[in-house]
Amino acid sequence: MASSKSNAVNWFLHRITGTFLVFMLITHFWVQHYDHSVASVTTDVVAQEGELPTYSDEAAAGVKAKFGADAEVTPYNVVMQRLADPVYAVLWKGFNILFLIVALHHGFYGLNNVLTDYIRNPLGRVMARVLSWSVALVLLIIGLYSVITAGW
Amino acid sequence: MAVETAERPAAQATQPSAVEDSGRFQRYRIRTGMFAWMMHRLTGVGLVVYLIIHVWGLKSLTDPTAFNALIAKYHAPIYKVGEFGLLVAVVYHAMNGLRIVLIDFLGWSPKQKKLFVVLGIVALVLIAVGGYPSIYSLLAHYGAV
Repeated sequence: MASSKSNAVNWFLHRITGTFLVFMLITHFWVQHYDHSVASVTTDVVAQEGELPTYSDEAAAGVKAKFGADAEVTPYNVVMQRLADPVYAVLWKGFNILFLIVALHHGFYGLNNVLTDYIRNPLGRVMARVLSWSVALVLLIIGLYSVITAGW
Repeated sequence: MAVETAERPAAQATQPSAVEDSGRFQRYRIRTGMFAWMMHRLTGVGLVVYLIIHVWGLKSLTDPTAFNALIAKYHAPIYKVGEFGLLVAVVYHAMNGLRIVLIDFLGWSPKQKKLFVVLGIVALVLIAVGGYPSIYSLLAHYGAV
């Protein structure tokens, strides 16, 4: 039966995507939180309206080297060190697109497993499935658009 | 799952000890596995909700002013707590997920209890090391350290 075959494929994929996500998340967390020269989220606590987090000297040097001596060290410019580069950005954008697809498949397939367990009504199951995968599709389009056009 | 009743201990006492032992083991394994499964589900749903908010928020990557405002907001005290909660959910889900993959693909089911304990310790270390900066900066912000 076609549906049971696709379920087996998805069950298998869920484990593969999960394993991939462990490694991709390590990279993601490292780059966004722990790498002093490119991390956009620092340990700084910002409580005031309009205030921006402060960045390390390495990050400031990187931004000024890339965007000129008068470039401001803002979160956007810190991230654009990676995403506005014509060559380097291809790798990061490629990583982000793959990450987005894998995370959405893993998350929404898992969500569908949960929904199928609690929704007994067949029509309700179809509606939940259509609705949740529609949300995933919208997020995929938004995510692809954001990643591809960022800095270009 | 085993249900505790007043009659049960008396009934088990008449059976050979091997049967009693296997019953006890089975009952314990289901309890640990059930807890792991429930937490996996709970963190999984939480992470999907986070994923939706996260991807939606990153629309601002196309607008420098909006992106700066978003990232500044992510540094507010409440988001430091959220960051720590996110780390706990991700680490738990990843470690228990790894356990599921090892059981399903490598047939490690006889070792699943041990695996749960070992990966649990790894998870606690990752949460402590990874979460230290968020919690420290939060405490420093309020002058507690």
